[in-house]
Amino acid sequence: MAMQTTVERVEAGVPVTVMALSGELDASNYLRLVDDVRPLYDSGARNLLLDLTDLSFISSSGLVSLYSILKVMQGEEPPDPEYGWSALHSMERDVEDGKKQDVVRLCGMQPAVGDVLQRTGIDAMFPSYPDRETALAAY
Amino acid sequence: MVSGDVVTDSMDRSSRLRRHITIDADLAQLADIRAAVREVASTCEAPADCVSDLVQAVDEAATNIIRYGYRGEPGSIDMTAELVGDDIVITLSDEAPTFDPTAAEPPDLSIAPQHRRPGGMGIHLMRLSTDSMEHRVRPGGGNILTLTRSRVRRPKEG
Repeated sequence: MAMQTTVERVEAGVPVTVMALSGELDASNYLRLVDDVRPLYDSGARNLLLDLTDLSFISSSGLVSLYSILKVMQGEEPPDPEYGWSALHSMERDVEDGKKQDVVRLCGMQPAVGDVLQRTGIDAMFPSYPDRETALAAY
Repeated sequence: MVSGDVVTDSMDRSSRLRRHITIDADLAQLADIRAAVREVASTCEAPADCVSDLVQAVDEAATNIIRYGYRGEPGSIDMTAELVGDDIVITLSDEAPTFDPTAAEPPDLSIAPQHRRPGGMGIHLMRLSTDSMEHRVRPGGGNILTLTRSRVRRPKEG
């Protein structure tokens, strides 16, 4: 199954860009997702909410794209995606330094997707909400 | 190209069920191999967490074979999934250079991330979503990786 993305701009106290992912995020499409986010940042988006309600699968490659998306939204160049764990180190350092990020938030994770984030510790890096409505109310 | 067949033997009370699929070593075919795993695990009446664990493990294994085994060279991956008692046993066979993911160092999640050894996130997920992983060198060249997951209980975390 291919992956589709749809983008919506919502006023939630602050302007929020909501990107909904639908399908499966794997090694065949994870770089494209990062490419989809770049123009959003370039056109001024500073709060990104990824709605994962219709995302049924995420692989380790998909985790690297979540991290790379965060870097893009922080105005930095994402690392070489080939590095896996090491690609996540600088981000975890930020978390340990108390610089908890909130420019990229997640909502609507299905249990299978949530398991993958939890098993790799990535869940601690992104504010996450059960659904879009709750996520938008938190801004 | 994807090819496969399903063989079910309803006469056998030891509940043998077997599914075979061959995919090209192409990342675009990962969706097909995941669909095949989902189909066979569901036919085995595996609960949802078991199905998603097996889908995860096979996806990560096949991704590694395509990326780090074949490295862009043409090739194929044979997958056989079989119900043996209450275990779903999945075998991935390739003709890529020898690589043993079971020998990779697991990341130590108890130490600070910046001190961890890089690499192996996919292998880490494979370990957590299966009960066992076994690697053999394929006679004549290549790898045979066997992933086993019970359909009745979750693998131990960590």
